[in-house]
Amino acid sequence: MKRLSMLMIMMFTVGILAGNLFADDTLELSIPLPLTGSQAKFGEMEKYSYIIAADEINARGGIKGKKIVLSFEDGQGKPEVSRSIVEKLIDVDKQQVIIGDYSSACSKAIAAVANERKVPYLVVTGADDAITQQNYDYVFRMNPSNAYYAAGLISFLKQVVKPVSIAILYESSDFGTSGANDMEKQALEMGMKVLVKEKYEKGAVDFKPILTRVKAEKPDVIYMVSYVMDASLLMKQLKELRIDAKLFAGGAAGFAIPEFVNNAKDAAEYVVTATLWSPQAKYPGAKEFAEKYKSKYGDYPSYHGAEAYSAIYILEDVLKRAKTWNAEDIRAAMKATDMVTAFGPIKFEDKAGYQNQNFMDTLVMQVIKGNHETIWPESYASAKYLFPIPSWRSRK
Amino acid sequence: MKKYLPLIILAILSILPLIGLSSYAMHILILVIMWAAIGMAWNLLGGYCGQVSFGHAAYFGVGAYTSGILYYKLGISPWWGMPLSIVVVSLFSLVLGFIVLRLRGPFFALATLAMGEVMRVTTENIGWLTGGTLGILIQKRTWVSKFGYYYIILLVAAGTFFLIKKLIESKLGYYFVAIREDQDAAESLGINTTLYKTIALCLSGALTGIAGAFYTNYMGYIDPHVVFALHDISIVTIMIVMVGGVATYWGPLVGAIIMVFLAELIRTIPGLGAAHQTLFGILLIVIIIFLPNGIVGDFAKIKKIFKQEAPRNELN
Repeated sequence: MKRLSMLMIMMFTVGILAGNLFADDTLELSIPLPLTGSQAKFGEMEKYSYIIAADEINARGGIKGKKIVLSFEDGQGKPEVSRSIVEKLIDVDKQQVIIGDYSSACSKAIAAVANERKVPYLVVTGADDAITQQNYDYVFRMNPSNAYYAAGLISFLKQVVKPVSIAILYESSDFGTSGANDMEKQALEMGMKVLVKEKYEKGAVDFKPILTRVKAEKPDVIYMVSYVMDASLLMKQLKELRIDAKLFAGGAAGFAIPEFVNNAKDAAEYVVTATLWSPQAKYPGAKEFAEKYKSKYGDYPSYHGAEAYSAIYILEDVLKRAKTWNAEDIRAAMKATDMVTAFGPIKFEDKAGYQNQNFMDTLVMQVIKGNHETIWPESYASAKYLFPIPSWRSRK
Repeated sequence: MKKYLPLIILAILSILPLIGLSSYAMHILILVIMWAAIGMAWNLLGGYCGQVSFGHAAYFGVGAYTSGILYYKLGISPWWGMPLSIVVVSLFSLVLGFIVLRLRGPFFALATLAMGEVMRVTTENIGWLTGGTLGILIQKRTWVSKFGYYYIILLVAAGTFFLIKKLIESKLGYYFVAIREDQDAAESLGINTTLYKTIALCLSGALTGIAGAFYTNYMGYIDPHVVFALHDISIVTIMIVMVGGVATYWGPLVGAIIMVFLAELIRTIPGLGAAHQTLFGILLIVIIIFLPNGIVGDFAKIKKIFKQEAPRNELN
């Protein structure tokens, strides 16, 4: 018993010492991420991407001669744990800038703390519109808000598919709900009929009751907003029930990551999805990052990876321009950001009710022969879109 | 000495923030005390009255949403939710009790578990009132400094502690224990078991609800997945009491220290990464195996271990 407690104490002491050893020529940066729990898949991809970016910058000599030392703290996807992490980063580690976390709920918890404590926070993936609509002076968001996620997809619908009706299925989370609401609004504006708008519990295993209703209504487009497992299950069950539509469309997240194709197999074929980024995006460094990620971790990254990767580059740019590295100057430098990253152009603007929000073009990808190809806007396209799509029965 | 222990601990806790703790330490302390209050509330129903509830998230969530809805729909300060939640959650518990208290043992546990989930799904679907899955975000929290929050939750926890102590030492407490030990025997002695179980449920629910309302004010953001969480609220509440000591006054506080403070310590061990969950899980398993009555419940056992070890050390 006693020996065990001695061992524990030793472990803690060693840990604390190790943390303090490299203090001088380095820039220590802790990033909250969900590394366990249901969002761990995204957290892991972002973690790898942060590491790739930091390694690249360190290889070039770091930021103003200081090497970036990254560490990751597991927020478990729980807002109060994310808040604990950020309170610690601000108070104990005196970190002058916060980046990261994945879900909207956690990003909101962090945003509130960061703004209260006057430490700039760069939101990397939290998509709920509300985050940058709160008059938070210290909160910046690099990804477009959820309302803009499907902008590219909508122009694809308008110009190519020309549907008259739509069914919207979404998971019961803030991301799913705000995505579905925005799509409904846009669809009504385009004169479409919204035949079905149905919410399901995330992590559900059987979508057949909802899908049967969809089948009866025969919509032109079936639009779905969901995370990983639900996305592939939905497509598999659409296939099993032989529900045909002019187009199956996903609202980013679960539809836009490689796991979707791996899990749904041939049911994923022809599915289009809104996305913020793709490995074929014509931004400087996008392709190199995607290839590097693939050679290291075996698969192409989705937009989440690109966001994380670019976040480090934004930070580099900001820290280079900042007069000193304290929170106020970093905030001022961040506000003046105007750069192009592998993820796309970054500029924090105050407009349309948003504050410090980045606005950018969003893309559409389609699964063609088991690969995500960029198909829209045509200037970004890596392959010609396949439309109309064959019915389930006429496939093989 | 033992008689004054609660007052001494309360005094220590009230001067603790004055020694200049960082805001991070205050945050952890606030969470510990909040969870201790929730644990005490659960303990009243589950520990003393023997009705093991797997759905305390329902009360926590209703309390949290009472505060949230005041702000979201009526534009009133969410602090009013704390007193109001007592009324709302009591009424809610009364209705809930009417349904679930007809059941016993495992059936009661399952019914409460279902109730927690039902509340979550309901909240998600009445978007006009609750904001649905988008949750409720309070634009500006009352204070940046944590002192206010700390003393409010300390007051709530202390109130809960003394109320429960008073109750358990009164006639009511003996009724509760009688119901726990043998409901049929209690009934045959003339105890109106339905009435007393309902009282325990309403009190336990209302006390949990206050903590929920506090959570809304403190965190500034709630959504159905956060406050009606089966694992993160209901199960954690049970774990706090189980680890600390069922049907003991101090069990929930000790349990909360382990479940929040120790979990945070383990989480922040550098280089452990995602393995912190495993390590913490193993620790909990060890506690449950060797101290089935919890740390406070088996305190005599712990003392014995150290007493046995002491002479051996002298020999060396």
